[in-house]
Amino acid sequence: MFGRNEAMRRSIRLKTGGYPMHIVVLAKVVPDYEVPAGDFELTNSRAHSRYKRMMGLYDENAIESGVQLKEKYSASLTIVSYGIKADIQVLRKAVAMGGEKLSLVLGGSDDPNVIAANLKMAVEKLEDVDLILAGQQSADMDRGIVHGMLAEMLGFAFIPQVAKIEQEDGQWKVIQNTESGSSELKFGGKAVLSITSVPENVPRIPVVRSIFAAKKKPVVQLPEIEGDAMPVDELSVDIPKMESVCEFLPTEDDPAETAKILLGRLREERLI
Amino acid sequence: MGRTPYWNIDLGILIDLFALPMIVIFFYGMYGHWKRIRQGKVRVNLDLSKSAGKIGPVYLYSLLTKGILGTKIYKKIYTGVAHGGLFWGMVVLLLGTILVFLNVLFGLPVFSGGFNHWFMAFALDFAGLAVFGGILFFLVRRLLFPPERLTEPKSRTGFSPIVLLLGVVILTGFVVEGGRIACNGIDNGSFMGNYLSMMFGKGDEWLTLHRYMWWIHGFLALGFLAYIPYSPLVHLLLVPVNAALADPMPGTKMGLIDFSSFEDEESEEMPVLGAAKLADFSRKRLLDYSTCLWCGRCHEVCPAAQTGKPLSPKGVIITLAECLQDGRVEDDSLIDSLTSEALFCCTTCAACMEACPALINQPKTIMKFRQNLVMERSEIPELMGKANSSLELRGHPFFGTGAGPNDWCKDLDVPLFEEGKTEYLLWIGCSVTYEERAQQIAGSMVKILSHAGTSFGILEEFRCTGDPAKQMGNEFQFAELAQQNIEDFSDLGIKKIITMCPHCYNSFTRHYPKLGGNYQVIPHSVFLKSLLKAGRLSLNRETNTICYHDPCYLGRRNAIYDEPRDVVNSMGKLVEMPRNRNESFCCGGGGGNYWAEEVGTRINQVRAEEALGTGADFIATSCPFCLLMLTDGAKKFTEDQKIFDIAELVALQLEER
Amino acid sequence: MKTLIIEMIEPKRLGELVTVSREFCEQPDMVAVGAGQIPGSFGKAYQVADTVAANLVSDLASLILKEGYEIVLLTASTLGSGIAAPLSVKLSAPVVSEVIGIKPDLVVERPLYGGKAVATYKLNKMPAILTIRRKYFEAADLQGFTDSSPLSIAEKKVALIAEKEEKTEGIPLEDAEVIVSGGRGIGAAENFTMLQDVADLLNGAVGASRGAVDEGWVQPTQQVGQTGKIVAPGVYFAIGISGASQHLAGIANAKCVVAINKDEEANIFKRARFGIVSDYKKIVPVLIETLKEEA
Repeated sequence: MFGRNEAMRRSIRLKTGGYPMHIVVLAKVVPDYEVPAGDFELTNSRAHSRYKRMMGLYDENAIESGVQLKEKYSASLTIVSYGIKADIQVLRKAVAMGGEKLSLVLGGSDDPNVIAANLKMAVEKLEDVDLILAGQQSADMDRGIVHGMLAEMLGFAFIPQVAKIEQEDGQWKVIQNTESGSSELKFGGKAVLSITSVPENVPRIPVVRSIFAAKKKPVVQLPEIEGDAMPVDELSVDIPKMESVCEFLPTEDDPAETAKILLGRLREERLI
Repeated sequence: MGRTPYWNIDLGILIDLFALPMIVIFFYGMYGHWKRIRQGKVRVNLDLSKSAGKIGPVYLYSLLTKGILGTKIYKKIYTGVAHGGLFWGMVVLLLGTILVFLNVLFGLPVFSGGFNHWFMAFALDFAGLAVFGGILFFLVRRLLFPPERLTEPKSRTGFSPIVLLLGVVILTGFVVEGGRIACNGIDNGSFMGNYLSMMFGKGDEWLTLHRYMWWIHGFLALGFLAYIPYSPLVHLLLVPVNAALADPMPGTKMGLIDFSSFEDEESEEMPVLGAAKLADFSRKRLLDYSTCLWCGRCHEVCPAAQTGKPLSPKGVIITLAECLQDGRVEDDSLIDSLTSEALFCCTTCAACMEACPALINQPKTIMKFRQNLVMERSEIPELMGKANSSLELRGHPFFGTGAGPNDWCKDLDVPLFEEGKTEYLLWIGCSVTYEERAQQIAGSMVKILSHAGTSFGILEEFRCTGDPAKQMGNEFQFAELAQQNIEDFSDLGIKKIITMCPHCYNSFTRHYPKLGGNYQVIPHSVFLKSLLKAGRLSLNRETNTICYHDPCYLGRRNAIYDEPRDVVNSMGKLVEMPRNRNESFCCGGGGGNYWAEEVGTRINQVRAEEALGTGADFIATSCPFCLLMLTDGAKKFTEDQKIFDIAELVALQLEER
Repeated sequence: MKTLIIEMIEPKRLGELVTVSREFCEQPDMVAVGAGQIPGSFGKAYQVADTVAANLVSDLASLILKEGYEIVLLTASTLGSGIAAPLSVKLSAPVVSEVIGIKPDLVVERPLYGGKAVATYKLNKMPAILTIRRKYFEAADLQGFTDSSPLSIAEKKVALIAEKEEKTEGIPLEDAEVIVSGGRGIGAAENFTMLQDVADLLNGAVGASRGAVDEGWVQPTQQVGQTGKIVAPGVYFAIGISGASQHLAGIANAKCVVAINKDEEANIFKRARFGIVSDYKKIVPVLIETLKEEA
């Protein structure tokens, strides 16, 4: 009815009958995303190095979703990241939440093309990856494009804003959040899913024995490959001036006038 | 004139022979209790075994006061007196019975002279009457007007039959005595016997009745004794034991968990973290459950149980007691039957423990379950989970805070702690750093210490003590944070610490020493008091009335009640809430419940209403969490800001001059 | 510059993209995703029935290459983000997401670090793909309709089983661009309908402070603050809310706070961008009237 690709269906069947399914979750270590605006500073156009480094919140949602899938379908779960050596310590938490191993490409680029190319290399080294999950956007650059680029590079389908994943008749069935509600989608091939935050994937606190076990899980460190940078120049990064002084609107006269002024000001600032 | 033992009774000595099987039944029952308790883990706390007044594991003073004198029972005066009458009456009667026995065996001359008159006649009659009065009180209250604490979540069965039996023993005793006196003539002192004998009149039928009653009384009395271990009255033996073994330090101690076996590659068996089933608990805890009377005094004072939350400390303990009675020690569905919703409602305020006349440590049991939920099962309410994650990631639990780490002191000139130069570390703590309202406590304290010329400094960077993690059950997180702090303190050579938060104080004094961090820690209320005493601060006593709310972690857990009151008294007139000092009612923020979506009535509103009800001009406290919770709770009742930390009030006075 | 808009048939979203397109060209071309008549006037219009992003990428790439488009505009939406990144790889084209400002000479702005910083980029290669953040550009008025020619899809990777509209349940607080929140000062549960009216008119959601939730006037799920939802709307209306720090912690990332409170000392004004010291019952009804008139 939907013109399903028979070859893809067969490959899934093989998968479920044969060796275990392999899920990859992408995670990125970022500076504290909850630093209050008043305390936020930049050095070299990036968040100040004094902020603690941690996994992005959506990434943790993705890991939680991955762990739930792993538990439900006896899959194996690998955490893949691109970052610096010091990130390993932070990424152990992802492993403690339920990953089997960690694969880290060592590199310091912020270019989405370069990052995606390196993640592709890491995923291809793993072989037989069935499904890739990623947080809907990293908590530093907030781009939400690296995972989509990776999907295309790997020839996988890309589905953003995924809230729920399950298997049905050897296919994946996912719920995708949209602006007006949600869509239920089904596919048989391999895919990259960007995961949004929903009550069902609130990240777990790893249990103590997993925290200790995670210290012994294998960490593969891969040297960076050269990728083509995206043809975009970053000209500047600035912290917008936050208007902290409250502007009191006149109320003596006509309240309708006050309402008009307010709406006018909000429109001026493109807020409504 | 003397009394003849076994008068009118043939072969009376047989009753003493019948006592033997009864004793066997009695001890068999006690052995049953031991067998159940023995299934717990053996835990000997070595560093506790050195204190004075302690022999082996037995705390003599506690045994004597709380265990035998039952001092805690008299907090409820009617119940206390009734219980005292029953218990001490029975002690006297038992003594009388032993004396009779000694008279029979060795001819101890107890039935003559003043001793017979005052003790064997008068005192025993009086004791019998006291026991009977106690029995009546308990029967009427239990069967006709049971208070909620006895019935919620359920009542204990088995009290009434044995109490009734005892009543019959006492009544038959009086009848025997009356019968004897009716036949033998008035016995001076035996006012009950004399009175009954006059009612009976003199007649031969009394000889027969006396004979039957004597045997009935004897057998029932022996039956009663043998039945004790199988009935709730076993508490008369278990409570003293429990009291003797309970650490008399105020509040509950959680000890530390050794995580090294998780690290060790070789170790085959990893310990269960916390407790999920009875077998995970220590013998002392199982003794707790066996001892519990289901009296519900804990239920009555529990802030969770009293505000419509699913937790009742009595409910938890009796569930465990029943489980233990049924022999389900390995049943790990136990933790599920208690529900994690209920277990996370505990504010760890220790009011239950304070109220318990049987010296049961309810918070420890609840905390053990929490540890299991968090560290073995990743089960934690969402907000507490967020606070925990924030502790792990940022070293403080205030996720989503709008404050940066230095916001609190941006307009202040605060010295940093310098090794070898600074005397006191002013420890700021998480809430004071990251909560806008609480930040003012630190501002006030800096002003006061500068004014008084104290040598103090703060840390450049700091993290939480770990207390919230510990109270939420994440001992592992606590240990990580505590170890890092201890390292930092050692690097700076810190020896003296002033705290503004009782939770920090409690962590530093109770838990850090076991990890190797030993400091002189002074809560700010105590430090303020010492500054006043030394004349380095002078305050005007004004006409304001100030009501003081005891923070659980300063009061009940550390018995610091007077110093903050002295500080308050030097500024204004101290007024007390109905529930104060060790009976203080929690603000609702303890045990990680600052980060809770409360169900039922809000605890902070209940307490704020009580505080506002005193009509005091100000409400003072000495804990930032209490300050935040009560400030929030008071909003329901007033728009005025009335709740302050004592340091804020002191600083206010300094400013005014 | 030859510009292509790829968007669903939704006048507001389409209108915003048309506004953006005028920075690059006179009249853009258009690929309409989904069924219906295409409002507005476009040079060329294509239409594709399939609404699943993953199925569209290949054929869109062929179209863009064939027609030589230089700028491709999408909304930063589920559809837009599903197309943009894979398309950029297919075309070896630069992509900038969540654009909030367009400057001359192909310079664009986008927020970083949860909006705490804004970065400026220069696009160095054509074609370039931009996803535009909603509500940063005024929607152009779309006059008339444009006829379309169908765009066929070669390969269907992903099947759409069902779509669910969740309009009735409202926008989740966390996602809402406008939040109208009430506190204890609202006084009664029924007065929250007024707030709901404002929220509906601004396509926003209704929130509440803990006080209002405590009183039982609103559901606990609507609570904003440290023990409730952490929100980051463009505009946060705080009506009858005093502004306890626990509440402020929940709106730390709100861009603009409008406080309406009769107590001029209320803490909320410290956090507010605009303040109205008045009884909300005087202001909110006229606000509703004004919004209705303008709609």
